[in-house]
Amino acid sequence: MSRKPASALPTISTEDMCPVCKTIRYLNKDMEFLINPECYHSMCSNCVNRLFNDGPNQCPYAGCHRTLRRRGFRSAFFGDLSVEREVDIRRRVAAVFNQAEDDFETLRDFNNYLQMVEDLTFDLVSGSDAERRAAEATLQQWEAEHKADIERNRRAGKEADEQSRRRLAAEREAARQRRVEALREAEEEKLERVRNREAELDSLAQGQTGGVGGGGGAQRVQLKRRGHAAAARAVEAAVNTAASAAAASSAAADVGRLSIRGLKEKKKPPPPEGPYDPFGGMDFVPSRYKVHEGLTHPAIEKYKGDPGHVTGGYNFDEYTTRAMFEAFAGLGVFIEDEKEAGIGLSAGEVASMSAGIAAVGDRMEVD
Amino acid sequence: MATEDARYRQTSQFQLWSFSPTQLSAMREKTNTAARTRIAERLASLPNSNNTSAPTSNANTPDPDGASTPALPVFLTAPEEAQLVTFFTSELLRAGDHAEMTDEIKATAAAFFRRFYVTNSIMTYPPQEMLIVALFFGCKAEGSFVSITDFVKTFGRDNPEEILAGEFLLCQGLRFAIDVKHPFRALRGALMELASLPDIDRARLGAAETRAREILRFSPLITDAYFHYTPSQIMMAALSLADRGLAERLITQTFHHIAPPTDSGADTPAADGGPLKESAPRSEDKAQIIGSVARDKVLGTIEACRDLLSRELPERREHWTNRAVIKAQITPLRKKLNKCRDPERWNLVELQRARREQAAKKSDSEDGDPDDRADKANNDNNSDAAVFGDALPRDPKRRRVLGEGQKGKGLDDPFGGPL
Repeated sequence: MSRKPASALPTISTEDMCPVCKTIRYLNKDMEFLINPECYHSMCSNCVNRLFNDGPNQCPYAGCHRTLRRRGFRSAFFGDLSVEREVDIRRRVAAVFNQAEDDFETLRDFNNYLQMVEDLTFDLVSGSDAERRAAEATLQQWEAEHKADIERNRRAGKEADEQSRRRLAAEREAARQRRVEALREAEEEKLERVRNREAELDSLAQGQTGGVGGGGGAQRVQLKRRGHAAAARAVEAAVNTAASAAAASSAAADVGRLSIRGLKEKKKPPPPEGPYDPFGGMDFVPSRYKVHEGLTHPAIEKYKGDPGHVTGGYNFDEYTTRAMFEAFAGLGVFIEDEKEAGIGLSAGEVASMSAGIAAVGDRMEVD
Repeated sequence: MATEDARYRQTSQFQLWSFSPTQLSAMREKTNTAARTRIAERLASLPNSNNTSAPTSNANTPDPDGASTPALPVFLTAPEEAQLVTFFTSELLRAGDHAEMTDEIKATAAAFFRRFYVTNSIMTYPPQEMLIVALFFGCKAEGSFVSITDFVKTFGRDNPEEILAGEFLLCQGLRFAIDVKHPFRALRGALMELASLPDIDRARLGAAETRAREILRFSPLITDAYFHYTPSQIMMAALSLADRGLAERLITQTFHHIAPPTDSGADTPAADGGPLKESAPRSEDKAQIIGSVARDKVLGTIEACRDLLSRELPERREHWTNRAVIKAQITPLRKKLNKCRDPERWNLVELQRARREQAAKKSDSEDGDPDDRADKANNDNNSDAAVFGDALPRDPKRRRVLGEGQKGKGLDDPFGGPL
């Protein structure tokens, strides 16, 4: 996708006149100008309908030979179409180069990367023809090469957005709760105050002395209660912020991975462990003998025709393998040497005598 | 390291029950010393405490002369014990033959029996009972489950309790290592390999196998071969006793790797196409695993094992049943044994009953009188012994050991405290 030079963009000086059909707003109150990001030539919606309803057509502007489609038209967000175009381009570049700072080893690398992206964007927006083509090629190449990574980053970004959105919502909800709570408390306080006052009045009416003091006591109690409530709220708030901070950091950790220059080593998932090996990597390939065809023994020959063995699925090869293994297993194990060497500590023997199996474990390790 | 060897090193047979000859004799010596000390103490304490400890005196009743002699008897020495164990192993094999058990069962039982008496003295537990127990447990370990009543009948006894009483004891003595690796199937493997060579006469193979199997059925079981050598080495030694040429052929065939620049051109048999073609980078490894140095070492080991086996060739079966021999060598030892056996442990049924009683008493006397509580405190020291439920049996032993803590390690169980 290559675009015409920006200099060809018209400025809608006459906001009220369609440059194609010359209709003016005065005649059509609902006139709406649309552009197509192919060439950013604006025209009114009537013209668009008229020209492109029957399928793709050439841009009606003189000298513009782009083929436009109905589908590509939209209303411009910015009045200045060159800004509109730049924003489009930036959006597109940002969608492709969507690394985050966490992806880089150092801040410097990240800055270099941003610089590179910015240069590229600038070339696209306002470079010469050759520059633009080169930048376009780079962009496309990068996009093609890193499709998966881009997609992942995009998703991660989306997730992070989603999380922050949720967090915001939660915070709003919490704030609302707090407000409701505060209201309720104020209400209660008011009620309390009224009750106190009544009590005070009652005590006065009954002519008891120290009523004022009692009233003060009640007030003190109330203040105390308020203090408690405030403390509880503070604790709760602290917990909440801690939780949200944790959420934020985890969200930040989620965003990430990928590789350009200076990109951090991708946090590699642990190397695939492969299927579980119950034998702990023991090698079962014999090193002294080969189990080859033609290993047989008269004693097993006679069973080969025996339905009792054959029907049940008895595997004669298994027997052969096992017999061969036993014939050669341990042929090179020299017990005298190994056990003596293992014990080289004659103290080790004493230990094995007195400490039993644990000591034997030691000895095995030495072996 | 050869993968086969690595796998063999994982077995309990290698890890728990393989010893060099010096180690083995040291252990036997130690067991013997510990048993002497304990039995001496028990015999000494018997006349005094005759009325106080009921189970002890009960256990002692079948052994009047041991109790009545105040002076200590002459104890068996470790070599004498070993000889008795060997004799009873041959008895065990005969018993196995009598019960028509398979070779594996007999071999397993024999290995169990010998292992048990490495860390337990023959003076402590009765070998005649234990060999039956070993046979019964060997049946189970090899997956042939006979009913205890049938089993008892086979041996002309009438009380299954006698066998069951020793079973857990045996397991403990084996340190619960119940898998014994035998050379029988290995022999099959070796013969398969030999039979696949082009220039070997089948008749010769058959004869060698029969003879080697006969050797395997007796010689390694009645010697310490299972402690000192791996099954494949034992198998090779037996094969070598049967037909030296075949065994050597198999060894040279196996350890055929020639270090490229150095070694002389030992003949490489025609059948080994594959392994030799593999290229240089692993050459050093290969030289270690199947090179000539390894070959010589293996040959040396097999030769040593062969010597050991040749001391007890199957023809010696008669030797162990020969009345003259028994009268000359074994009977004196047994007489000696009768005098010096452990009064508390000898009767397995009584022993087990006493242990159960004690265990029951322990659980009853949670809030008992001070005496009991003192007793209990003593037990609590060893509460880890309760892992297998049967915590008390070791207790008398332990108390004694604790009492003379200074005397130290000689007294300790060869395999240490309870699991």
